[in-house]
Amino acid sequence: MGLVKAFDDYQDSVNADIEQVRLARARRDVFKKALGAEDDVEEVFGSGSLARSTQLAPIHDVDLVVVFDADAHPTWGTAGDAAQEALSHLGGKVHVLLGATHGTVDQLVRLADPRNHAVKCFLDDPEDPDAFTVDAMPALRQPDNTLLIPEVTSRDWVSADPEYLINEVAKRQVKWPYFRPMVRVLKNWRLGVPVEGKIKSLVMEILALDCLPTAGSRPEALRAFFSAAAVRVNEPITDPADLCGEIQPDLDRVGLRDALNEASELATQACAAAANGATDDALQVWAQLFGTDFPAPAKKQTSPSVAAPALITSRPVKDAPQG
Amino acid sequence: MTADMILISQEAAQLIKTSGLWGHLSLRISEPDALAGVISVSEQQKVMRPAALEPRNHVLRCAGTGSGVWYRVGPELHGAALLVSVRSSGLTLEGFRGHVPSGFKTPGAMAYYALTYAPGVHDPPYNEGQIPELMAWHVSADGAWPISTQVEPQTLGLSQFAPSWPVAELSESTVMLVGGGSIGGAAAHALALYGVGNLLLVDPDRLGWHNLVRHVTSSRHVGRYKVDALADELAQIRSETRTEALRLDVVVDADRIRPLLRRTHVVLCAADGIAPRRVVSHLARRAGIDTVLACVLQDGAFGEILRLRPWADRGCLVCERETLATAGGMDIEPSLDAGYGTGTRHRPMTAVGGDLHLVGQLAAKVAVATVLERRGQADQRLPGEHTVWALRPQPGAAPPFDLSRSGELRWSPAHPPRPGCPTCQAP
Ligand SMILES: [Zn+2]
Repeated sequence: MGLVKAFDDYQDSVNADIEQVRLARARRDVFKKALGAEDDVEEVFGSGSLARSTQLAPIHDVDLVVVFDADAHPTWGTAGDAAQEALSHLGGKVHVLLGATHGTVDQLVRLADPRNHAVKCFLDDPEDPDAFTVDAMPALRQPDNTLLIPEVTSRDWVSADPEYLINEVAKRQVKWPYFRPMVRVLKNWRLGVPVEGKIKSLVMEILALDCLPTAGSRPEALRAFFSAAAVRVNEPITDPADLCGEIQPDLDRVGLRDALNEASELATQACAAAANGATDDALQVWAQLFGTDFPAPAKKQTSPSVAAPALITSRPVKDAPQG
Repeated sequence: MTADMILISQEAAQLIKTSGLWGHLSLRISEPDALAGVISVSEQQKVMRPAALEPRNHVLRCAGTGSGVWYRVGPELHGAALLVSVRSSGLTLEGFRGHVPSGFKTPGAMAYYALTYAPGVHDPPYNEGQIPELMAWHVSADGAWPISTQVEPQTLGLSQFAPSWPVAELSESTVMLVGGGSIGGAAAHALALYGVGNLLLVDPDRLGWHNLVRHVTSSRHVGRYKVDALADELAQIRSETRTEALRLDVVVDADRIRPLLRRTHVVLCAADGIAPRRVVSHLARRAGIDTVLACVLQDGAFGEILRLRPWADRGCLVCERETLATAGGMDIEPSLDAGYGTGTRHRPMTAVGGDLHLVGQLAAKVAVATVLERRGQADQRLPGEHTVWALRPQPGAAPPFDLSRSGELRWSPAHPPRPGCPTCQAP
């Protein structure tokens, strides 16, 4: 198997199932239609990884922004009870329009639970760990086109710009057709990284924006990503629109850095093997990096000495001096 | 007057290639250099068009004059010329004339120089070999003798390294170089050679006669500020690097350094003395910028390069020094405890220029690798953060300085910040 085919196959295993994506989009569209028809709502748009097409399988949630008419809610946007009030208001609307028993537009939502920034709407049993949810976030449009969103914990409103990230990802995708697929590959890779706690998926998206090249082959781009990200991860990873601060202050940076460094070493070996024409060795190393879903060459998979670094045969250096 | 080589500017080459079958040449010929250069070209009898070599202060500018002719020829002549030049031989005049279809000038008592342009060398079967399009000849009544030519290439400069070297990434990078002395001067030249696009040169000192014995620059700059001398030199020989000469002292002018750090990708500090190095470490860490510190220790016995990264698990210069001191590897200078600017600035000159230049060049390599690693260049990862290089090692030094052979290089990892460090603690 060639590298291109192997990466294509691996991509298929990482990508969300098309039926799941369709279902998620359909559910999102029901919310958009129902909430968008309300008198005090100006617009409803998707904002999460589904909107950026960087979603990973399986899809558990959909993010929505519900932009309200500021004139209809003159107290919103100011410190105090307004943040809680906005979330309750939106939660109430979801209940009336989409509640599982008496929803006037559709009967989808079993529980609409106002959280810190958004209303978490459970479409399945809330006890189910894989429950499908829609996070609906109320917002006000500001004169600079960014959003003002409620924050219950601080009893205040904060600026946000989810559209910035959507646009940035789209721009990269235009430059390099593998950008979104590679973001999904990297988000998937992070799930196997041995760190204290978890790595937020948005952390990987920001690292990809900063460190993933938008040119070249997928193996070369990955090698560059891991090398650059191993440096980048040591510095604060903040909201790219520069509005709310660090995305994951409790991130295990050293753990992630070590994993990125190791991945950079492996990717470098894999690229060197491929450049030497040793495609099977390259596949073996990529499989070591990405796990068993990556199609490694069949005949070597059973060998007990699968330690990939040893597979790369040393190469004589040419005696061709340059002065 | 005789020349063994003729230089042809790109402009002269283009005029010949676009001007029909033959024409005249005027040349400058420098007898001591056995060198000629084409300075103008005509098409047949038309007016001579200037096409001289740049820069104007070339050695040929003051040389004698000469004239010559150029001919458009078939590729066979250039193939034959390669054969005869291997035998250090020439063609008979008749043989040469046979290849010139138009405008041939028969030499009288005076020989002349000819250039031949053979556009057919790119067609089969001639395209197999390395046959040049333009050749030069010394044509006399005795025959025609090939002589060497150098045609100015169409592309000059660092772009020739792309794509095997990340030319674009480096050309948009900015390095602040603190210290324009022996190590700093060598580092400046090396940074430009690597292709760093922007250099901020920071040093408050002037170049003295006593500096010349180990500095990269020459006596014509004595008395000038070191940064001005370096900037002028780089402008002449490495014009692709843009320099800013800043006559600043990082200790005294820290407030003017801070805003410059905002457009700096990495700081290379080659300043001697404890205080400037400490200040650079502090300012760069606060600005979140990687720093490379280069120096020689123990009267030039060791070169040392230390890379400081503004990361939570990496210490500053003072932390690294204290860790090394605690492990028994280093005596910390008493002036380290003195306030900024009160320590002795300079130690007596004990290290030799070549060794200092080695350290400056390795420091430049480390700085460039630091920039490129951030850009995803996996082949620029370093084996550690601290390196010690034996220059004149003596037995008995404590680790990591326990090196016994000159040229030995040892890399070590970085260490975490020391508790309570005012530089490493979040402000
Ligand atoms: Zn410190």
